[in-house]
Amino acid sequence: MAQRLSISSSSRPSVLPTPNSSAAYSSSNRVPFNFNFLPHPIHPIRLCNGSTNHRRLSVSRLAATALPSVDSDDSAGASGKKPLLEVKDLKAVIAETGQEILKGVNLVVNEGEVHAIMGKNGSGKSTFSKVLVGHPHYEVTGGSVIFKGENLLDMEPEDRSLAGLFMSFQSPVEIPGVSNSDFLNMAYNARRRKLALPELGPIEFYAYLFPKLELVNMKSDFLNRNVNEGFSGGERKRNEILQLAVLEADLSVLDEIDSGLDVDALQDVAKAVNGLLTPKKSVLMVTHYRRLLEFIKPAFVHIMEDGRIIKTGDIEIVSLLEKEGYKAMSTS
Amino acid sequence: MSVLAFTPVVLRTPTSVKASFPCQPRPKFRTTVSFASAPATQIGFSDPFVLQLAETLEDSHSPSPLPSLQNLRDTSSESLLSTPWPSRRDEAFRFTDTSLIRQSQILPVTQPPKVGNLATGSEDTNFSHLFIADGFLVNSIPCASSLPDGVFIGSLSSDSSDGIREKLSSLFSDFQWGDMFWSLNGLGAPDVTVIYVPAGVRVETPIHLKYLSVEGREGGSKVLPLSNPRVFVVVEDGGEIGIIEEFVSSEGNENKCYWSNSVLEVVIGKGAKVKHSYVQNQSFNSAHIKWTSVRQESESRYELVEASSGGKLSRHNLHIQQLGPDTETEVSTFHLSAGDQTQDLHSRLIFDHPRAYSRQLHKCIIAHSSGQAVFDGNVRVNRYAQQTDAGQLTRSLLLEPRATVNVKPNLQIIADDVKCSHGAAISDLEEDQLFYMRARGVDLDTARKALVFSFGKEVVDRLPHSYLREGVERQVKEVLRRLTSENE
Repeated sequence: MAQRLSISSSSRPSVLPTPNSSAAYSSSNRVPFNFNFLPHPIHPIRLCNGSTNHRRLSVSRLAATALPSVDSDDSAGASGKKPLLEVKDLKAVIAETGQEILKGVNLVVNEGEVHAIMGKNGSGKSTFSKVLVGHPHYEVTGGSVIFKGENLLDMEPEDRSLAGLFMSFQSPVEIPGVSNSDFLNMAYNARRRKLALPELGPIEFYAYLFPKLELVNMKSDFLNRNVNEGFSGGERKRNEILQLAVLEADLSVLDEIDSGLDVDALQDVAKAVNGLLTPKKSVLMVTHYRRLLEFIKPAFVHIMEDGRIIKTGDIEIVSLLEKEGYKAMSTS
Repeated sequence: MSVLAFTPVVLRTPTSVKASFPCQPRPKFRTTVSFASAPATQIGFSDPFVLQLAETLEDSHSPSPLPSLQNLRDTSSESLLSTPWPSRRDEAFRFTDTSLIRQSQILPVTQPPKVGNLATGSEDTNFSHLFIADGFLVNSIPCASSLPDGVFIGSLSSDSSDGIREKLSSLFSDFQWGDMFWSLNGLGAPDVTVIYVPAGVRVETPIHLKYLSVEGREGGSKVLPLSNPRVFVVVEDGGEIGIIEEFVSSEGNENKCYWSNSVLEVVIGKGAKVKHSYVQNQSFNSAHIKWTSVRQESESRYELVEASSGGKLSRHNLHIQQLGPDTETEVSTFHLSAGDQTQDLHSRLIFDHPRAYSRQLHKCIIAHSSGQAVFDGNVRVNRYAQQTDAGQLTRSLLLEPRATVNVKPNLQIIADDVKCSHGAAISDLEEDQLFYMRARGVDLDTARKALVFSFGKEVVDRLPHSYLREGVERQVKEVLRRLTSENE
């Protein structure tokens, strides 16, 4: 516990003054910070209630911890949180045309946190998630991304996935000819190889897979179908969450997971995502609507505009957004 | 053979053959060829290579006592007199290089080869098995349950076929669309294997024809043993049957040189159904030429699923002739060219009657820079074939630089109330799909292999029997695995 950071267990949020203190984080990263001994989940700390003065927090390097919709146990075990993802001044362009989409994104996601990004169409939300995952259509022209202490931008997409980053696509592509079970088996075995664990054969994998299917409320007959072939929009999204459950990623980037889902399917998906959250895993959601955020409660909500994050707050921002639109965000 | 100045041979009157050939060793045709029955004027050049080959085929067996078989040989040799070896200037062989055969010495196999224990045990004992080694029907293993009454499976020359020879002789008709390879088979086939299904009989268990190539020479020897298997399938009105053709090398012959030149004729009666599976897995140094000629009466259904991955030169000529309205035809073919191979499909569907339904799907993968695939899909919808619904789709996957594919979908439509479509796509693997797999942690190499395999799976999955599917999948995986280990 000697690595407890300067942010103590007080319930007041403290804003880290300078980026230099991130050095304190990175040194702590090397020491395995074992959360397993914590008996209770950490008490969600409420940020300044009712105040619209969120601009102070736009630096968003808060060590305050938050876990959504967990019991409100008042345990004082709020140790400092390790940053999972640190994005500094990320700039990216479309590779083909050179048009700049991301113009300096700054974001820190700590372990166990749920973040949401909202923004107008064309503000760069999906581009941000695609750049994180390494999509070849985009080229990074500046800034850095550190994931679990490693430089993410140097890694190939498969290595990023093996490092623990998962992105659920907005429109998942069909892969006719490759069955869902084969695909999941391949992906899972790749992960096990990376962790130096023995690979699972089809039967053992099925045993591992079955409870995950229940988690996302899907029937086992879908495993024999080809990946996303003939799937409705809702089924594709649930397939993405199933993959998330199987791969046990540390940071999940959910790109508009709620688009095209009916109320029941949305609840299933939200339940599944919440069920996967642990003190060490984080979620970054990109969404347009409040509805998803009612189910997966974020600690931080970021507003993205014109390739930058211009505002950060908690769920109260969303109320303001719905009343007054994005205009209110840029002017206030 | 020296190059000669040819004088066109005009065959009009029953003149003796000998007088017409200038300075040639006389072709010793022992059969009397009656030229009176030839079409009015047939002007052709005689190709000495072809003539010599025809001669050797003639010599390879004694005249047959069966009039139908002898008649077949006669007409074949007659057409060979005026058929030159196909060159690259012939449209049908524009992209297909036959020099593998042309530049080798051809030795027809004259005797049935000695084969050991043929049943390898991997076959399904519920099926009837026929073993054809080097063109000779050498063994047959009937299925566990007996075949329905009246069904005949065996060779035409055998004694038990007496009853049906009458029926069959009327069905042996002259095939106007054949080429030189068709005629070579007609002349050189030692016997015809017959599968006969009487009217209204449904044969539950499929017939598995295993073609073995036993005689083989070492790679690079420029000697090709030639075998001419010939199978004739007749399904009378309302009958149903499944046929599986599997072309393999016999054990130990997996790299030998040989030439398998086979013909399958299928006559499908009114309302009858035939499910045809064709798997070709011959040696990578061999030549494999196959003709499949199908005649469909009205309301019949013919389904073909093909998976070819072997042979240095593999060509399938498919001809489907519609003889009555309301027919159904489904053709799915998969070709894999993973080495210095040429995989060729020339198909022709001819519709002369209304309301036909046909779908053709052709997929080929060329995974080697010297590999080549050829597709020529001809569909003729003639004047009286109104309300035909014909679709054709060919998709090719080119995986290596300098790999070649030549696709020529061609529809010739004369009727004016039809629905016909054709599509062709040639591409590498899809970027989106590759990225999706990479984003899930699957490395690029594994992702490519999985996608290549899944490309062919669409057709391979249509094979009606699981042991066939598994066999083909194993073969494809093995070939792809060997490819990557070569590249490393």
